[in-house]
Amino acid sequence: MPYRKILTFTVLFTLAQASPAQDSWGDDEWESDWGTEQDSSIDVYGYVEAAIGGRLESSPYHKRLSIAEPRLQLGFNERWQDITWTAKTDGWYDGFDETWHGQIRELNAQFTVFDNTDIKVGRQVLTWGTGDYLFLNDLFPKDWQSFFVGRDQEYLKAPSDALRMTSYFDWFNIDVVWSPEFDHDNYVRGERISYFNPLTGQLTGDDPSIQFIEPTRHEYALRLFRNYEGVEYAVYGYDGFTKSPEAVTDNYQPTFGRLTVVGASVRMPLGPGLVNTEVANYNRHDTADHWRALIGYEQELWTRFTGGFQAYIEKGDTQTRTVLTTRLTWRDERDDLNLSLFAFVSPNQNDGYLRPTFDYRIDDNWSFSGGFNLFFRERPNTFFGQFTENNNAYLRVRYAF
Amino acid sequence: MKTLFLTALSAAVLFVSSQAIGAEKSAREIVEQAELNAYYSGDDGRSAARMIITDNQGRQQMRQFTILRKDQQDGGVQEMMIFFSRPADVRDTVFRVVKQVNDDDDRWLYLPDLDLVKRISAGDKRTSFVGSHFFYEDVSGRNTALDNYELISENEDSYVLKGTPKDPGNVEFSYYEVVIDKEHMLPVESTFYNESGEAYRKMEVLKVETVQGYPTVTHSRMSDLTNGGQTEMQFRFMQYNLGMPDSIFSERSLRNPPAEWLQLRD
Repeated sequence: MPYRKILTFTVLFTLAQASPAQDSWGDDEWESDWGTEQDSSIDVYGYVEAAIGGRLESSPYHKRLSIAEPRLQLGFNERWQDITWTAKTDGWYDGFDETWHGQIRELNAQFTVFDNTDIKVGRQVLTWGTGDYLFLNDLFPKDWQSFFVGRDQEYLKAPSDALRMTSYFDWFNIDVVWSPEFDHDNYVRGERISYFNPLTGQLTGDDPSIQFIEPTRHEYALRLFRNYEGVEYAVYGYDGFTKSPEAVTDNYQPTFGRLTVVGASVRMPLGPGLVNTEVANYNRHDTADHWRALIGYEQELWTRFTGGFQAYIEKGDTQTRTVLTTRLTWRDERDDLNLSLFAFVSPNQNDGYLRPTFDYRIDDNWSFSGGFNLFFRERPNTFFGQFTENNNAYLRVRYAF
Repeated sequence: MKTLFLTALSAAVLFVSSQAIGAEKSAREIVEQAELNAYYSGDDGRSAARMIITDNQGRQQMRQFTILRKDQQDGGVQEMMIFFSRPADVRDTVFRVVKQVNDDDDRWLYLPDLDLVKRISAGDKRTSFVGSHFFYEDVSGRNTALDNYELISENEDSYVLKGTPKDPGNVEFSYYEVVIDKEHMLPVESTFYNESGEAYRKMEVLKVETVQGYPTVTHSRMSDLTNGGQTEMQFRFMQYNLGMPDSIFSERSLRNPPAEWLQLRD
């Protein structure tokens, strides 16, 4: 690792260690800082993290390194004038593209009006739906690049600049999210992860000649939901665009097609576990519609070992894709080591994606995480199969404060 | 093993129980009384809690959270929300439980970084609560219907009872002994024994304070007698009968914690 990066680490870790929020537990610690009304100091929190990872085999499209970054996250939230103000920002040096980056993940105000309505305005992370790593009615932006190179799971969700209004009534609740500018996923487009380009019919790395045309229009999402005697019901709607470029312009440039989605979900206890089911109709306006459906079940199989299973289908007039997933999670007695295996397998496309991970918590500040992103295929043009050249392993160490 | 947690007892219960206490009281009556006092005081309650976890090499960790609780009926269904503030990696995480009596609890976890409301399937309740030596069941209360009880001794100040699981295959202990203090009718010490009759786990109440007339456990300790290590738990800013509406205990409070009910003051 070059000298400059080592220096960056040292500086970031030193900063974190010096943070006033650091805790050490003497006898008088019982008495300190319970967060009462009188404690008026502004509490900044966050972490410093170092991540390193590489491709398991050399790729014709990219260098071996898949991730190398020192990262600092700082956040704070404060309640003032009955409004909760939240800010959270990340800064990191990306050793892959050898550039510094910054991202504001949250910058928002949350408040209540008419007693029954919560409003959150500004940059925020948004999630709904019942799938586990399978998204039918959650069309909020996702960062697949972060997910595939082994950044923390937090980064799978990219922030939106949005107005969210949630109203609660006796019979149902309603959630409305309006984004003035369409937010696409941070989809795979070759510069970091190679993919199959259907226009050229071949696997593609970084190709600056491909211009992705982004729509400039608002999008909105809607959810009606209710929990009745432990059963969670929801109905969803979305109007906007596909989250990755699945259409082409007249000039054969990839672009985002118009999309309207209507769907529903139910989640409830069943026997010793939980069952969830979700459906969605994808109306693509300029191309054929398709359906998506999911059924899932999760249960603790034995003490501290949980298994989750999902069956998923995308069905259009001409194309069908089926996916089965399993998530196996084990944690140790002290709850400081977590081992997990998430597997996607598509029986009809003969491809899949394995995500074995570990998380080890050393103490309240230090933790380690690591894992693999392993794609496999029969053909290079399938959903998971196209990423096989990017199989990688990664390790992260974090100091949280 | 009726421990801690928003412990206290309603004035009415205290009055009735102090009259009813006597040699003829059955072991089950004593245990059920102690359960009400330890877990169902008042109609609702709020408390800040702090745990200091010490492992067998002396290394320490801390957990800090605020609990809101509301009983649907005494000894019955109970709504509970736990708002974590420390350590950094669980800050702003919220845990919601609907405690059922003859069924699995409903549980949800809110992960703020992902804005994810994760529903959690029913699990073994005798596993570590947030990495401490307390079990989930120590915090939410073990259903008294799961064990048989016998009174093994009694003196002026306390009863000593032995609890034996009806289904030994479901728990890691062979039996436990619980000391119930007569003054408050609260469990003040529980010791768990394995199959060879060795004590391996022990809960001790270190301090009881009276809050709004209710005796409340405010400091307790759970020790691992086999491997060493212990967790101490303290409660502060307890208040009972706040009149919290049912609507607090919902998905809404996961995403938008009810600040009005979470303000800590004595």
